[in-house]
Amino acid sequence: MKIIIIGYGTVGQALTKILYEKEKQLFNKYGLRSNIVAVVDRGGAIISKTRLKYSTLMKAKASGTVASDPNFGKPGLKALQVIEEEAADVVIELTPTNIIDGEPGMSNIKSALTNKKNVITTNKGPLVLALITLIELARHNGVHLRFSGAVGGGLPVLNFAKKSLIGDRIISIKGILNGTTNYILTRMAEAHISLETALKEAQLAGYAEADPSYDLNGVDTACKLAIMSNWILDKNVKLKDINVSGILDVTLSNIKKIEKKGQTIKLVGSIDDEKIVVKPQTLSKNNPICVDGVLNAVAFNMESAGEITLVGGGAGGVVTSSAILRDLIEIRRYTNS
Amino acid sequence: MKIVMKFGGTSLTDGEGIKRVVEITKTSLLKEIKIVIIVSAMASITDSLFEVISRAELGDLEYIKDFIGKLATIHHNAVKVTVNDKEILEKAMSEINALVKELERILFSVSYLREATPRSRDYILSFGEKLSTAIVCAAFQNQKFEAYWFTGGEAGIITDDNFGDAKPLMNITTQQVKEKINPLVEEAQIPIITGYIARTQDNVTTTLGRGGSDYSATIIARALDFDEVWLWKDTDGIMTADPKIEPMATTIPIISYSEAIEMAYFGAKVIHPKALEPVFEQQIKVRIKNIFNPNGLDTIIEKHPWTNTDKIVKSIVMIRDVAMVTVSGTEMIGMPGIAAKVFGILGDNKINILMISQSSSEANISFIVPRGDLNNIVNVVESALLGSVVKNIYSESDICVVAVVGVGMKGIPGVAAKVFKAVADEGINVRMIAQGSSELNISFVVGEENDVRTVRALHKEFQMDKFNRSVSLI
Ligand SMILES: NC(=O)c1ccc[n+]([C@@H]2O[C@H](COP(=O)([O-])OP(=O)(O)OC[C@H]3O[C@@H](n4cnc5c(N)ncnc54)[C@H](OP(=O)(O)O)[C@@H]3O)[C@@H](O)[C@H]2O)c1
Repeated sequence: MKIIIIGYGTVGQALTKILYEKEKQLFNKYGLRSNIVAVVDRGGAIISKTRLKYSTLMKAKASGTVASDPNFGKPGLKALQVIEEEAADVVIELTPTNIIDGEPGMSNIKSALTNKKNVITTNKGPLVLALITLIELARHNGVHLRFSGAVGGGLPVLNFAKKSLIGDRIISIKGILNGTTNYILTRMAEAHISLETALKEAQLAGYAEADPSYDLNGVDTACKLAIMSNWILDKNVKLKDINVSGILDVTLSNIKKIEKKGQTIKLVGSIDDEKIVVKPQTLSKNNPICVDGVLNAVAFNMESAGEITLVGGGAGGVVTSSAILRDLIEIRRYTNS
Repeated sequence: MKIVMKFGGTSLTDGEGIKRVVEITKTSLLKEIKIVIIVSAMASITDSLFEVISRAELGDLEYIKDFIGKLATIHHNAVKVTVNDKEILEKAMSEINALVKELERILFSVSYLREATPRSRDYILSFGEKLSTAIVCAAFQNQKFEAYWFTGGEAGIITDDNFGDAKPLMNITTQQVKEKINPLVEEAQIPIITGYIARTQDNVTTTLGRGGSDYSATIIARALDFDEVWLWKDTDGIMTADPKIEPMATTIPIISYSEAIEMAYFGAKVIHPKALEPVFEQQIKVRIKNIFNPNGLDTIIEKHPWTNTDKIVKSIVMIRDVAMVTVSGTEMIGMPGIAAKVFGILGDNKINILMISQSSSEANISFIVPRGDLNNIVNVVESALLGSVVKNIYSESDICVVAVVGVGMKGIPGVAAKVFKAVADEGINVRMIAQGSSELNISFVVGEENDVRTVRALHKEFQMDKFNRSVSLI
């Protein structure tokens, strides 16, 4: 399968690494041979008609941009041009999330679908702003749009809800969906440090982005709730319909006050028939969604099956890549390339 | 209040017609109503474009030149009558000239190739709306309104590539129309959009097929979440019957979406059924109004009409130009699947069947088809079926179909008896009754010579000249 990767940051690089490391296994087990034919970052593109080696990509990226490769580098070449002109089966869109207009991901995804290329993305911006539109566009062009990694990172939240829970009714969904804030709240509770200190720690550890505001103000969680509602529950929810408050007002003393009762504060996103809310909530430590560190947890409250909870690594390049891999294998099953 | 107003070709016969469009819109604008305008091609222009395409395919260059000259004149005249501001006039004239020139170029290239592809056909057809819309826009600007015109595609209507009868991709369309048109609406500017035309995701021009401009209007209303769609035509809304047949016919105040669809199916030139699709779910009201009588009676198409009127029967529709084909044979009795076989054959040959009836003895099946296709249909059916179980195929073309439509008939006993008694009392023989169709209509076949009498008898029986207008209508 010929693959174009747009965006070569944390997730993109982890993905190429996994594809390289698991090459044999993926081929033997799933018949998946991933030929990366182009990678694009802000500096330009690297393109090869046959396939790009992992070592070539890493070496080029080490000097800033993949376009710096002396043989295959195309400095300044834009993603849209690559998507339109290079033959490929799948475009994997991994540029930063932008919830104002979804760009550059929105145009990249639309262009890929219009050019009849399958799309896998973890970029929440376009999905939040235009999920039903993009699905319609994919269907119209006879290709697939997959985004397992957009919610819960490695946790198979979306597919689990859409496929494994069929026949039962989801009454409500509740979860911790943002690894960065969960790490911060966990560290505040266990080390009794301030939010600022915990944030710095998270940044040092590579869990938080340079601009962590989407995480801290709850918007990242809200995006994930919107995608879940629209995809799993067939709603038409916009970000503005969601009541969002982040963790910036949570203080160490808030946490200390309740810890003796076996409780702590977590940033919880919840969906029920009436409303969708993101806000810090007091949870009992026994609550199955009350997980620590960068873990994510999602509980589905089912009409017949009762509560079902998924817990696991929600963010990070490697776990998110595992979700992309699932999407790739699924697309491989439908296409013959 | 937000309204999409669509002005059909009959509203746009000439400059005076276009002035009327501006006046009518102004009245609503003064009431702080927000408006998006959809414009059809000027009267008969679309037909003449179809004609010139076929002439171009024959390589008739003279015809093309002559046509282009006339087309330019019609539109020049219209704009001169409507616009007196020098600058706006000049700009509109040059827009028209550029469009006409481009059209000529395309027609010439068709005539060299001797073939118009579906794609180039749609492109050529789009010029009718582009020309009229440019003029309507200039007419608004001339009256100091901030108006802008767009093709349907520019406005954001994206369709599949089924040229000639394209279908919108409604989600993409909604998103794009919102992005493009909403800001203008918010700023109280007037977006003026070509009806009938749209484009594919690759920016290739498409047309929406018959009833396309109404369709554009409802698509835009749905995309922008507007309150109502006003379709300006040349009659006082939808009538209880064709006034040329029944002089007592009157405007139906309110009908449901499904009644309108039913009537359209039976040939009433109300609105194309597909045009109701976009507004059905959102329950956006559609009004049919008369451009020549803007304060007169109109018809509202909406969801729950029966709460507003006491009428069981809303409308009597008659279809002429039909024929009845009857297939018979005693061996057909008790033979399973024979009906399916007959209709399968007709379906395979893309023959449109309006009504079906099978006698209770099962010894014969009748169906109603367009009269123009009759010979072809008889041939098809004969070659496929005659000789085996089917012993006889005969056709009658001196007939017409009468359909009585009204959602109020649902569950009310005795309506059918009333219908057939009224017809029988006139000494009119019913030749066939449709079976198993929806509960919204009763349809039957009478001899063509009895067409007018049948319609009038029913109109009288159901007192359709007296509609309850207790509901206040704007
Ligand atoms: N990290 C996670 O754990 C995780 C989990 C789930 C979902 N996501 C989502 O996945 C996406 C990627 O995340 P990430 O952590 O990999 O982000 P990242 O490390 O910031 O990488 C973003 C990449 O996109 C490239 N880029 C930015 N603008 C571009 C443009 N206009 N054209 C081409 N490339 C452009 C950047 O180029 P340069 O390298 O030249 O700067 C960079 O390579 C984001 O939307 C994020 O929300 C991330």
